[in-house]
Amino acid sequence: MRTFEDDPTLQDLLSEDQLQRLNRLLSALCREPVSLSGQRAAASVPVEFNLETVGWLYGGSSPAEQQASAELVSFLMMFVAKYRLAANLHHDTTEASYAELQRQNEALKASEARYRELSEHLQQKVDEQVNVIRQTQQELFESARLRSVGQLAAGVAHEINNPIGFINSNLGVARDYVKELKDIVASTEANRDLLQDFQDLIAESIDGTRRIAEIVADLKTFSSIDQADSSLCNINELLKSAIHLAQTEYSHSLQIIERLNELPPISGHPSRLSQTFFNLLDNAAQALRDDEDSESGGRILVQSQLEGDTIRIVIQDNGCGIPEASRPRIFDAFFTTRPVGSGTGLGLTVARDTVRAHHGNVTINSRTGTGTRVTLTLPVKGA
Amino acid sequence: MPDFHADENKLTLKVVFYGPALSGKTTNLMQLHSLLNPERKGELMVLETRDDRTLFFDMLPIGLRGGSGLDLRLKLYTVPGQVQHDSTRKAVLSRADGVVFVADSQPSQQDNNATAFGNLEENLEKVGLDIDTLPMVVQFNKRDIPGVVDEQTLQQRWAPTPWAPLIMASAIQGTGVIESFRTLLDRLYTAIEGEFSLEREHRIDRQTFINGLSASHGAQHANV
Repeated sequence: MRTFEDDPTLQDLLSEDQLQRLNRLLSALCREPVSLSGQRAAASVPVEFNLETVGWLYGGSSPAEQQASAELVSFLMMFVAKYRLAANLHHDTTEASYAELQRQNEALKASEARYRELSEHLQQKVDEQVNVIRQTQQELFESARLRSVGQLAAGVAHEINNPIGFINSNLGVARDYVKELKDIVASTEANRDLLQDFQDLIAESIDGTRRIAEIVADLKTFSSIDQADSSLCNINELLKSAIHLAQTEYSHSLQIIERLNELPPISGHPSRLSQTFFNLLDNAAQALRDDEDSESGGRILVQSQLEGDTIRIVIQDNGCGIPEASRPRIFDAFFTTRPVGSGTGLGLTVARDTVRAHHGNVTINSRTGTGTRVTLTLPVKGA
Repeated sequence: MPDFHADENKLTLKVVFYGPALSGKTTNLMQLHSLLNPERKGELMVLETRDDRTLFFDMLPIGLRGGSGLDLRLKLYTVPGQVQHDSTRKAVLSRADGVVFVADSQPSQQDNNATAFGNLEENLEKVGLDIDTLPMVVQFNKRDIPGVVDEQTLQQRWAPTPWAPLIMASAIQGTGVIESFRTLLDRLYTAIEGEFSLEREHRIDRQTFINGLSASHGAQHANV
């Protein structure tokens, strides 16, 4: 049967064995053998089931015997067909239910896949957000540090400026007094030596106060206590004060070559740029210190020049270089190769963030044992 | 959809009795089997469980010969009304040419009627049939039981639908059963006449179709 509702044929209802057995039993009941067949034969009666002729019955000793046999077969067929119908319907519905279940399973799988994808995507989103938060935290930390340094520097500058002022002016007066003393005291060998030495001492002291005044000025620039958040910056001035600060940090032991060309002022954050330059110089100085091969030949080159609309700053050293294994991580926050306590691991991170904030770029070329070159580019019409 | 075999000149139509559990679908079919005396009538096949609930379906084949020798057959099926037999209902409903919806008139069964009707609508859609174009009759059965929802209320409720007026029946007493069936035959003839040109090609006009298939023992039915 094709579907449960198609009219059954004799083969659908009875197998060959069952048909032969039915024929045997019918023949045993009749006086002459009878036979049921799917093929029409002469002298036969149709066997009907549900308006459909399913076969023909022939044989038997009389038409009455033939007819009775045919009706008996019809009667039997009804029960066979009932079972067939039920079995086929059950089969059909089971198959349909199974197909439906499979469809649902597929749909479920698809939906599960969608959710899995979403959850993976979610993890990625969360990671991105965590990164943003970490970066913000770090910037906050940096800016807090800068602010406290700035406040300290402002306090120090204010306190030192006044005494330095009168020390300087007093020293000037003292120098004049020494000149006057020359004419007053007796011109003996001992007196002349004493006065000469006195003059030299005062000259050295004046030089010392000048240097103190310079450092105070540098501190003011660095902490930009006098400047608004964003203002016009003279890159070369910022570089110079960063260099002075670095020299102070390293007790004037650094050999720094300045090749600063004339630059237009750019709008930016002077304190952050100063910090960046200082960080890079500090790194370079560390690289020289760590380079055991050349004890006295360590040099730092600081170069600035205008290239079209871009300011290009190069800070280069011939120190130890960055090991290849560390290079991919140098911009990572809190990544440091220095001993615990001596570096925050934020130097290059802050440098990169600052340069990016100014719509610029930073690239680092390094070779182990040869040195490191950091190139910063800042657009003139930037930030 | 009608199943036409040109080589055998045989046209088989399928009518399904649908409705909530225990609304009297099988009783309708049993009454038709005993009341009808159509040209040709087969055995009523009842497949029910011990407690008289239809498990698979019941089926009654009846038939008619057209003037052209057309072997026209009508197979009447019932579906199991119980909710859990939905896949069987769907299988029986597929390719139906007409539906008799047998509703229960008792007030407590009105929700079940609505659920079953919703299920019919849903399953028709699943098997690719449209409830708005399928020939259908709605019968409210069990009018013999006291306290049923009164006819006027029911007729008013169904008046805006394409299935008004409803047919009131008491299948157990044999009333309204043939009327429901004849109404369905009338609607079925309208639906298939266009496609099979029953009147022109097979000399089966509307009256022949209805009377030939629904002739009852004894009285001749008036023309519909």
